Amino acid sequence: MQIPETLQNAVDELSKLPGIGKKTAFRLALNILKSDDDKVKSLVLALEGLKSKLHLCKNCFNLSEDDECDICRSNKRDKSIICVVEEVSDVIAIEKTNEYSGTYHVLGGVLNPLMGVTPESLKINELMVRLNNITIKEVILALNPDTEGETTALYLAKRIKEMDIKVTRIARGLPIGGDLEFADEATVGRAVLGRIVI
Amino acid sequence: MILSSVQLKNFRSHRNTEINFSGNINYITGGNGQGKTTLLESIYYLCTTKSNIAKADSDVVCFNEENFEIKGSFNNSINNEVRIYYSAEENKKYYFKNDKQVFRAAEVIGQFPVVLLTPADHAITQGSPSDRRKFIDSVISQASETYLKNLLDYNKTLKQRSQLLSRLKEQKQFFYTTELEAWTEKLVAAGSEIIKARKRFCKEFNRFIAESYNVIMESDEIPGVAYNYLDGSGTDEIEKLFSDMLSQKKDEELRRASNLIGPHRDDFIFSINDLNLKTFGSQGQHKTFQVVLRFAEFFYLKEMTNRVPIFLLDDVFGELDINRSSKISSYLSKVGQAFITLTDFTNLSYLQKEEDDLILYVSKGNVSYGT
Repeated sequence: MQIPETLQNAVDELSKLPGIGKKTAFRLALNILKSDDDKVKSLVLALEGLKSKLHLCKNCFNLSEDDECDICRSNKRDKSIICVVEEVSDVIAIEKTNEYSGTYHVLGGVLNPLMGVTPESLKINELMVRLNNITIKEVILALNPDTEGETTALYLAKRIKEMDIKVTRIARGLPIGGDLEFADEATVGRAVLGRIVI
Repeated sequence: MILSSVQLKNFRSHRNTEINFSGNINYITGGNGQGKTTLLESIYYLCTTKSNIAKADSDVVCFNEENFEIKGSFNNSINNEVRIYYSAEENKKYYFKNDKQVFRAAEVIGQFPVVLLTPADHAITQGSPSDRRKFIDSVISQASETYLKNLLDYNKTLKQRSQLLSRLKEQKQFFYTTELEAWTEKLVAAGSEIIKARKRFCKEFNRFIAESYNVIMESDEIPGVAYNYLDGSGTDEIEKLFSDMLSQKKDEELRRASNLIGPHRDDFIFSINDLNLKTFGSQGQHKTFQVVLRFAEFFYLKEMTNRVPIFLLDDVFGELDINRSSKISSYLSKVGQAFITLTDFTNLSYLQKEEDDLILYVSKGNVSYGT
């Protein structure tokens, strides 16, 4: 049977999303087709809202419904500490811990010459401007411990050191509640190297 | 660990072969092109999920057939049934362990360690530095997951850095930018770990080489492997040396847009009594050294991983004299389970055959047991 073009279009669009294959896209499209008009309308509104209402914070490039995000506006946050992360999802991960009361800076990626990502295509110059304009005590680099993340950390450390600001990198080691014997060799090795006095 | 049996269906010349192996030495004999090496290939498949010869799985399917299957039974303290099924139509390979499908090759690699000696090993002692690096890296990686991860990290850094060097060349920026400095620092950090691990390894591995060499050669000559890193400067302050060398080569690297120094350019030197094997070794010495290296690998892995690898030897006696062949076969009895292919039946009389050893005759993809 020929699939109606409208349905096919919806399936094609849905399957462009990450983690969604043709079959899942088809199921989603049929499910939307069966739903009440109200439900579909609120789905459409929610999706449109993502693009029309959300912006990047002019300061830290976190998601925000205004020019400035909640974290940057809050007077409870310590503005003299900046935690540099790769993506917005990393801000959410750190916020969930409730352990951090400083501000953020979202780079929007990491250095990756093979993918054509240069320092200019990340929000690095914006970070330097922030560091120049207000007094900063510490910059925490919370980038992923992979090849590109580590190199980006090295790069930032070089640029920031010239400004005489303390630069730290988040620790890496064993997950809490994890079993030593189940952790992979490299992680255990790093954890042993990074041991601390108690 | 013992591989007690194998079943092959439509695997190269083996349309339907079922063999029970000995836990000691299995001599696989037969004329040229009858399917001896194919048996070793199938065992290698079971242990590593891939072929040591074929580039694509489709290459090993029997002519005019649509799929192949390899089944094997490993006996350790527990039994493990492994099955590999490949369908040409789907161009997909399925790996089952005890009837459960395994999706990631990483879950299998290292489970059934295997050491393989083939005529292609001549490249290790006679070939280019990259052949030697490949051999050494594979031995260390099998014993250390950390080393393997460092190696992958380093290789990725190399790719990124060379891309960056090309971009700088295109933009005619023939100086170090902060971005390049960061990649250089990463290269030094990751590369130094590799160099240190290789240095440690060579020191350790020399003991294993000497032991195997003395058993096979019965001489008091001293064999060895030396690591020639960062253009042979030989100091212990690796990080400092590495970054000094890089700044010396800075202009050339920018001009040629490539990574000119580091562990990816290093070499290993094999020697007998301090004489460079590559320069002074005879054909027979080369062959013996290749055999010694695989025995050393076997005992090294056994000691480091506490697992006994399966030893596969493809046509090892082809270029060796009777005395040497007989030494090797008696040495093998210390190994555990081994599989050896031989072209010539008459050779068997020289070999130190034990009672539990097994002789298999392969002819046109059919296997029969001998005595």
